[in-house]
Amino acid sequence: MMAIPLILIFLFSYLPMFGIIIAFQDYVAGRPFFGEGVTWVGLKWFREFVGSFYFPRILRNTIVLNVMQLCFGFCVPILFALLVNEIRLRKFKKITQTVSYLPYFLSAVVVAGMVISFIENDGIITQMLRAIGFEAKSLNANPGAFPWIYTLTTIWQGFGWSSIIYLSTISAIDPGLYEAASVDGAGRIRKIWHITIPAMLPLIIIQLIMSIGNMLAANTDLILLLYNSSTYKTADVIGTYVYRETLMGGRYSYGTASGLLMSIMSFVLTYMANAVCRKKTEYSMW
Amino acid sequence: MKAKKLKRWTGFDTVVTVLAILAVAITLYPMVYVVSASISDPISVMAGNVVLFPVGFSLDAYRIVVANMDFWRSMLNSVLYVIVGCVLMFLTTVLVAYPLTRPNLKFRKILTYYLLIPMYFSGGMIPAFLVVSNLGLYDSPLALILPGCYSIWNIILCRTFMASLPTEMIDSALIDGSDQFRTLLKIVLPLSKPVIAVIMIYTIVGVWNSWFNASIYTTREEIQPVQLYLRHILSAASSSLQSRFLEQLPPEVRQGYQQMAVSANQIKYAMIVITTVPIIAVYPMFQKHFTKGIMLGSLKG
Repeated sequence: MMAIPLILIFLFSYLPMFGIIIAFQDYVAGRPFFGEGVTWVGLKWFREFVGSFYFPRILRNTIVLNVMQLCFGFCVPILFALLVNEIRLRKFKKITQTVSYLPYFLSAVVVAGMVISFIENDGIITQMLRAIGFEAKSLNANPGAFPWIYTLTTIWQGFGWSSIIYLSTISAIDPGLYEAASVDGAGRIRKIWHITIPAMLPLIIIQLIMSIGNMLAANTDLILLLYNSSTYKTADVIGTYVYRETLMGGRYSYGTASGLLMSIMSFVLTYMANAVCRKKTEYSMW
Repeated sequence: MKAKKLKRWTGFDTVVTVLAILAVAITLYPMVYVVSASISDPISVMAGNVVLFPVGFSLDAYRIVVANMDFWRSMLNSVLYVIVGCVLMFLTTVLVAYPLTRPNLKFRKILTYYLLIPMYFSGGMIPAFLVVSNLGLYDSPLALILPGCYSIWNIILCRTFMASLPTEMIDSALIDGSDQFRTLLKIVLPLSKPVIAVIMIYTIVGVWNSWFNASIYTTREEIQPVQLYLRHILSAASSSLQSRFLEQLPPEVRQGYQQMAVSANQIKYAMIVITTVPIIAVYPMFQKHFTKGIMLGSLKG
């Protein structure tokens, strides 16, 4: 009985790993990955991708989106966790948490659909911007606005959920520390600064390493739903590029090669981020 | 004296409360707006008068959506995918997790590696797509069911939980002549309810919200789930949307609606509300179990 799930894992997790081999082939749809009739092309597709107009653009967009995420998104869950921890009314604390987790459960389609309808010409956000004096046209077709829209959307959807891990760390802090600090006359802000934040620091650093390591990954799902041909300039990332190039254009080998190259770069980056961190501080992921 | 000092409401508490209310408001606002706009009077929505609360009242957008058969078919598809997905997820998880907790399992080490490798490496989007199509699953409902019907993470979660159960109970049942299946069914599963509940809730939400696989693995509308249908509607131009929905109404009703000109955005909002209701319905259940789930998640195996 155990064999059935194991076979499924083989089919849908292992076979695609072998499929990476087509990045070095001139793969024709419908053929098996190995065997006769395979044309090997070496690194041809990798060279084509690196030399293409899209490579620098994808790299830049991915890094811009992640840096913005890091600057504006990274601290929000931490601050929110500190805030929730300071709420003294039990009921209100619970309500705040419950509400903040809710967006995480909405589907990407719904979230992107809401955002787009808000930033269209007659959307509520466009109207609000107009009301406070901006010369706001539809933000939907504005490449300069896309990184902001993407960043704010991901923060809105994820901040509550991401705060859970910080809250669980806070709840593990020994209450004796706070009592001792009170006896010594520390106010609440000082207690946050000298007890809560230091206790969260190891986790914050690990999360930071992970974000830096993920610098070349992006939420393809959401971008596919949010972008359009007029915002490709700032919105296109590897996943969306591979999606268009391969699934719409049929260039399987090229798409696999571009995806593979980005995964390798991403892996090296994660590894480096962790190595630097281990040297400079005592915390690391592995 | 000291206790009194701790309980006093300070300026700091006020700041905390105001900020928390602000966070709640920002989180809720888009959802409240969508609901309000979907039930407001169409003319007020188009004029931009709806800001927070509904202005006027009209369920026309809902009437139009509910009359649409394509929408109901995609909802039904999604319900079926969720049911089948949950059953298969349950089976694939339990059937691997339970044997892994038994001490007399052969090849345990190989099996553990077999499960760990896919957690760190994957073939990526295109090879996965090619495997599915080379297996002949392209444009078949199985392409939406099979690749997502197991989760190695869930298997490990479940195994960790089952391994924490008292072994004496399981061993004594086996000694008393109960076979592995009966033991699993009568003793291990009832004790594993918390972890199974968490896995099921994640599966329900995950399958209900998924659209990407359907968009790359299928072309036939008859088998597509509601999120993909919703995506088509949300990205459709407003003019084509109105005609698409109006076509499905009975002729005598259609006349009336054409004059009322329900805004395309209202149709979108009404659909968003209807497709999100099931998630909101599962949410309280999730609330009950999720703290446990998070705790289980931190007990890495």
